[in-house]
Amino acid sequence: MATQDVSPTLKLLEKSEKISQGAEAKIYRAQLHPTPFTSESNSDGENVLLKYRFHKQYRHPTLDASLTKSRVAGEARAIIKCLRSGVNVPGIRMVDAAEGVLGIEWIEGKSVRFLLGGGAEDEGDIVEDADAAKDEDEVTEVKEEDLLKEYGVSADVVMEMIGTELAKMHQADIVHGDLTTSNMMLRHPASPKGLQLVLIDFGLAYISTLIEDKAVDIYVLERAFSSTHPASEGLFAGVLKAYEKKMGKDWAAILRRLEDVRLRGRKRSMVG
Amino acid sequence: MHTFHYPHLPTELSTVHVALFNNVTNSSEIRSRIVRASQLHGPDGEAEREAVNFAFIDARLICSVLHLQTAVYQAILAQAQDSLRTKTVHSEILWALNPTNNISEAIRRYGVADSTTSLIVVRISSPHLSNVQELMSRVVTGTLSPLEDLSNITDWTTVKKYHKLNTEPALKAVAKDSAQEHIVVNEIVTSTVATKSVSA
Repeated sequence: MATQDVSPTLKLLEKSEKISQGAEAKIYRAQLHPTPFTSESNSDGENVLLKYRFHKQYRHPTLDASLTKSRVAGEARAIIKCLRSGVNVPGIRMVDAAEGVLGIEWIEGKSVRFLLGGGAEDEGDIVEDADAAKDEDEVTEVKEEDLLKEYGVSADVVMEMIGTELAKMHQADIVHGDLTTSNMMLRHPASPKGLQLVLIDFGLAYISTLIEDKAVDIYVLERAFSSTHPASEGLFAGVLKAYEKKMGKDWAAILRRLEDVRLRGRKRSMVG
Repeated sequence: MHTFHYPHLPTELSTVHVALFNNVTNSSEIRSRIVRASQLHGPDGEAEREAVNFAFIDARLICSVLHLQTAVYQAILAQAQDSLRTKTVHSEILWALNPTNNISEAIRRYGVADSTTSLIVVRISSPHLSNVQELMSRVVTGTLSPLEDLSNITDWTTVKKYHKLNTEPALKAVAKDSAQEHIVVNEIVTSTVATKSVSA
């Protein structure tokens, strides 16, 4: 009875502001629900971030639909598991698996990459919002202490927060799969949930109990740190220290494996 | 009563009317009317089904307006895509709210029971339906209250039980701070409702 030509979710995307685009998905900022209380000061309603896994012309339509659907579902499930395990992640606001759209909580804040002076990313990232690109172009040279001042924390404290969140995630047997400083945000202290380090983009996340997978996860972040943030060895040591503290007895095995991975790279076998 | 309009949704599903009733005294009557309406045939049946054409939701199990909006929105999406799991868009809201896939359990837990005293009534319609509040008041005997009152009604213990949250690390971390706990529970529950259509 209610089927219309244009899907409601695609109509919503048309009215939304596109923020960035990668190979896999486009990112929009949208308002999903009309505001309930007109008397409230923020009468704009809550922003949501829409991650739209658009159709891939190079894939057979049937395969495309089933891949898209399972990836949206997989990302949503990983986020729910994180929420239940107390890992700071954005909440989910809507799912339209048929269209490949996942709506998640909008996080008021900036990426750790940006706050550490790594600049805003020019492609494929949800953390770089339009305002950041406009307003912050000139200030990328500014020292990270000044960027972080607004958040009332030092870089060392941020590293501790990262290590703690990663440990909580790994203790829940969730492997992120794409840990970079762009995929971590600091939630602004003035937002309702207060200052938090939030892990984002669970598009490559999966469940695993293997030491190997967790060690590789850490290794990928280590490499991301050294390539985006020059002379950051000291900072990353702070991440590992907090991770070690939170992981407790599980740490020794992961460290041993991490040392192996550092020697051989993230692929276990070089065959093929 | 609050009315939300979603311009991007199909016209006949674009308008959501939500009302919170406190001190409801005729819950058992509402419940038996819904049951009877589903069994009547002919024009009488049509008329009675139209009279109770609402979602009746136990307000104690709703954590926030966002929680409710999320369930309503996912139900409308399912209707718009012809993928309803239940018979109507209104019963789909109850299904979306319940963490399991069992429809009768969803209706038993989240729908109106004989003991219900706080009720959220939802009607999804086209923008042209005008006298919704009157239609609601004809069915429900109770005090129409602002949605803001919801925060005093939520039964967090039962919400946590139904969503099996008591043993989760997320709750243990905020065990001593009930305000913080409510934020965490609301986030998990709202996200679970949003994900319902793709959860195993």
